[in-house]
Amino acid sequence: MSRHTHLPGQPLTALYLLHAGSMDARLIGLSVERHWKHSVRLVATLDEARVVLVDCDRPGVEAAFEQLGQHPRTGVVCYAFHPKDHAPRFPNRVILGKPLNLESLPGILAQAANDTARQVAVAPPRPQAAPETPPANFSSKPAALGHGLKMDDERDLCGAMDDIPLTAGATLPEKLFFDPDLYLIGHLSRAVEQAIVSGRPHVISGLPRLIGVQPRPLPICVTAFRDNQLRPFSMTQLPNTTARIVSSLIFSESVGTDTVYGAEDFLWNIAAWAARGRLPLGADPYQRVRLKAWPNFTHAFVSPHALRIAALWTRTWASPVEIATRLAIPHRYVFSVFSSAQFAGLLDRDAPAVTPPVIAPVVAPTQQQRPSILSRILRKLLNAV
Amino acid sequence: MRSERARHNKIIFSGTVGAGKSTAIAALSDIPPVSTEAVASDETAALKRTTTVAMDYGVLNLPDGEKVMLYGTPGQERFSFMWEILSEGGIGLVLLINNANTDPLKDLENYLAAFRKFISGTAVAIGVTHMDRAQEPGLDAYRQKLADLGHDPLPAVFRADARNREDVAMLVKALLYTLNPGLIDA
Ligand SMILES: Nc1nc2c(ncn2[C@@H]2O[C@H](COP(=O)(O)OP(=O)(O)O)[C@@H](O)[C@H]2O)c(=O)[nH]1
Ligand SMILES: [Mg+2]
Repeated sequence: MSRHTHLPGQPLTALYLLHAGSMDARLIGLSVERHWKHSVRLVATLDEARVVLVDCDRPGVEAAFEQLGQHPRTGVVCYAFHPKDHAPRFPNRVILGKPLNLESLPGILAQAANDTARQVAVAPPRPQAAPETPPANFSSKPAALGHGLKMDDERDLCGAMDDIPLTAGATLPEKLFFDPDLYLIGHLSRAVEQAIVSGRPHVISGLPRLIGVQPRPLPICVTAFRDNQLRPFSMTQLPNTTARIVSSLIFSESVGTDTVYGAEDFLWNIAAWAARGRLPLGADPYQRVRLKAWPNFTHAFVSPHALRIAALWTRTWASPVEIATRLAIPHRYVFSVFSSAQFAGLLDRDAPAVTPPVIAPVVAPTQQQRPSILSRILRKLLNAV
Repeated sequence: MRSERARHNKIIFSGTVGAGKSTAIAALSDIPPVSTEAVASDETAALKRTTTVAMDYGVLNLPDGEKVMLYGTPGQERFSFMWEILSEGGIGLVLLINNANTDPLKDLENYLAAFRKFISGTAVAIGVTHMDRAQEPGLDAYRQKLADLGHDPLPAVFRADARNREDVAMLVKALLYTLNPGLIDA
């Protein structure tokens, strides 16, 4: 603990990561070290904590809450991909959306710590012998946890955002957009660009693991992140001083455990995970664009409906909103493909001056007749693979 | 009564020798694939003595009892006269190109030319195989070649390993969505 850095009269919030993944722990650790020394201190045990952080999407969250029964004075801040889905399970809990906003987190932690302390102070004293009541609505039946139910939802990684108006004009919600510079994708796309322009390998330094770009003979990305680490890391806002792009002759860490991706596939995936159904800052959801080509879907992340979006968008000039309308699917799935395509270099924005008329939906509104042979083959493949 | 040929839906797999047709069909098929020594039929009587060619077929059993045949064309281009007969009535073409061949982009051009009529009435999805052994040309070179050949929109081109069932299934899915992006899968 660095006592000399903290102002008198302003206590450090003692934070315990009760239930957080190792990558989150690393990033939060980095943030504390570099930005929050004056406000947050990480502690090693629950007993020392004034507030804890809980990732509701991780299995075992119920057990984590059970530990809290013994610590009524400790504040709790939860976070999840779909906070709304968890609210009924954990009423009266603060549940933040992922990714965590690193600017506002210290304030929220401090507030949760103080609020809990105050509530406990005014609560009527409990009889000593009574067991600690678990949080309201806490279910002890593992079967009711609902993890299985939410799994598919979580896996699609396209968030839960509502559709936007079908025509331009209204002010669009701020949360529709993400700033790529705050995520790995911003750094990665600059690294790929610099590598290609200079013809020399580049690495993004300052990350927990290696990410390098080699421009020749064909652009590839090399990383020591495992796939299951890469996803959460791509979704998280990085502290702004973390990453730097540097030219390098060889990738120092490479010792056979690295994974190699085609640069286009890698950009596609990292962008999809940052976007989660949002659009990159500055994108116009009403502007007509086209996909230059199908992404390499044997390696590129296939978000829901991505194949039919690609099939339609490689042949039609259409805005993201028009594509969604024609396929009768939620906008966020098209925004996901748009974001990936933009960073993978697969987006064509030079629409011909004469725009073709808007064509009727390709999805028949009623699907009462026997599904076509194509649908049935598709279903077979989807079930069997 | 409709003929067997018309009643059975089929997806055609074609591509150069060694590209992975037999392997891809085996990966996807619900029955052990049959690799026949197809003896030349009447149409090919003139070439009888030389037209014993390997050809594969597999089956996808649909839940309602219907079958989809997976046909592999004989690879040798000198048998290309058979391809059209084989593909008659087919749903579409999965074209496999071996990236480790001397001139895979030329192979692509030749096969697309041979199937030009079939593709124009159906669709094609292209799997570039053996990319683990030969990285170049990359997918962009294939897309450029397809554009040069006048394909607009560009068909799906994926890096595919014929030994990987998911890769093969992805090619078929892309083929189906190319035929109809509005397909409902649920
Ligand atoms: N290394 C590698 N081998 C492959 C790939 N695809 C297919 N093969 C192998 O290539 C060989 C030829 O495949 P085969 O199916 O007989 O080709 P066909 O002549 O088109 O029927 C087999 O040994 C396959 O296992 C690939 O992407 N990479
Ligand atoms: Mg064969």
